[in-house]
Amino acid sequence: MKKFLNDPANLVSELLEGFALAHADKVRLTGSRLVARARVKPADRVALVTLGGSGHEPALSGYVGEGMLDVSVPGEIFAAPGPPRVLEALRLANRPAGVLLVVLNHEGDVLSSNVALELARKEGLKVRSVLTREDISAGTRADPSDRRGLVGCLLVYKMAGAAAEQGRSLEECLAVAEGVERDMATLAVALSPATHPATGQPISALAEDEMVIGMGQHGEAGGGSRRVLSADETADVMVEALVQDLDLTSGEEALALVNGVGATTLMEQYIVLRRVRRNLEERGIKLARSLAGSFLTVQEMGGFQLCLCRMNRERLALWDAPCHTPALSIR
Amino acid sequence: MPQAIGREEVARMLRAAAREVIEQRAELSRLDSFGGDGDHGTTMARAMESVLAALDAAPAAGIKDLLQQAGSAIMGCDGGATGPLFGSFFLALAEGAAGETLDAAALAGACEAGLAGVKKNTRARLGDKTLIDALEPAVSALRAAASAGLEVLSALEHAAGAAAEGARASALLRARFGRAKNLGERSVGHEDPGALSVALIFRGLLLGGRSDG
Repeated sequence: MKKFLNDPANLVSELLEGFALAHADKVRLTGSRLVARARVKPADRVALVTLGGSGHEPALSGYVGEGMLDVSVPGEIFAAPGPPRVLEALRLANRPAGVLLVVLNHEGDVLSSNVALELARKEGLKVRSVLTREDISAGTRADPSDRRGLVGCLLVYKMAGAAAEQGRSLEECLAVAEGVERDMATLAVALSPATHPATGQPISALAEDEMVIGMGQHGEAGGGSRRVLSADETADVMVEALVQDLDLTSGEEALALVNGVGATTLMEQYIVLRRVRRNLEERGIKLARSLAGSFLTVQEMGGFQLCLCRMNRERLALWDAPCHTPALSIR
Repeated sequence: MPQAIGREEVARMLRAAAREVIEQRAELSRLDSFGGDGDHGTTMARAMESVLAALDAAPAAGIKDLLQQAGSAIMGCDGGATGPLFGSFFLALAEGAAGETLDAAALAGACEAGLAGVKKNTRARLGDKTLIDALEPAVSALRAAASAGLEVLSALEHAAGAAAEGARASALLRARFGRAKNLGERSVGHEDPGALSVALIFRGLLLGGRSDG
């Protein structure tokens, strides 16, 4: 794979330097490579912190900014940051209103945040945490610990972030986050593999005529591979599984997010999104909000993640509240 | 053969363990590419470079401090699950290593504490195709050798052998934990990279203990 890189050892610091330059009006780098808002939110508002591996740009630091996150802790490529930097971020965000840590369910992220949360509580920091695990590839009735955190985290950042911005309490923000987490589901489909930018090795293998529904965002093998389907057929298979998992029924409202993971074009994402709406409407489910774009990528992997979230009046208001971050703006 | 190892030996052992892992980084990443994202070698090498740097930076007072330095260095690495898991082993090992020297029984006790530290952080158990499949047999072998009255480095040799055997046998296991679990039957046939890292660490500890500096 041809890539414009320098010494792989400096990959993350170089990408963060450029990221901060490109979005200097919204974010700044501070401490040990933490990404924080350019303008600090008032201390009487709950702060949101997240952590996760790099190599998924614009995620996760792209959601730091007004209306969403306050601090993110970028790890190495596809690898969670260690507990000391997570603790540093919690200290940085600490305030009377409290801090909500959003953790995606991946082993490293969970381990690091558990250690950091324990230390933070010993220091007397007011911290709560929410674990996103909306991936349904392990099966609808799967052990929740088998469900990975995929692109749905950004729905939690957005809606809990809006609640924080409105001055709601830590417990209230946590309740919003947990509610969204429970009511969202994501499925990923992969067409072609990505290479690990630091090692140059492919992180999965896929034949020219096969696709895998359920591949993780690091190329972790998922459910079985199968012959490539058309956009509409793929969308139908995925919507069916997601609707089943969420138990969405006629008369309900949903948000759909099509997340291109790298090589899949916006053109394809739009084609998929339009079919998602048709499929939902045939079921009597209203597509209340929709997005397509590359929100959480896996280098040059081909494929997308489809996330559905049950919406209601409160969530729609939180979703429509303004946000200005490097990767998502709502006016 | 010495009945116990002191500060100098432990420092040498840690450096040798770090070098063993760093040398095998490509193989560790290759194994990880079957079920994970192919960076275990990169991450372990980075963690071990930070151990070497920590040992160079601050001369530790005793064995406990040395192990603590190593554990903190690994824990502070941005390495996904690797930092907290391997870091917690060395930090718990440090907690279990009281005294100015370690004989076989004391080393076994410290390693048992290390294993318990890892288990506190993961639900993975023997047979799940993880680092536990090398670590637990190594610690058991160390305890058995110590109970049989072997001196410390001979006991460590048994532990290193059991770790290597555990890593080899992990190839036969089906992943039930970590990222590779989604592979199911297809995970069979390759050693678990975390188990191999444990085997390399024990091999390095032994080589370092046997060398003269």
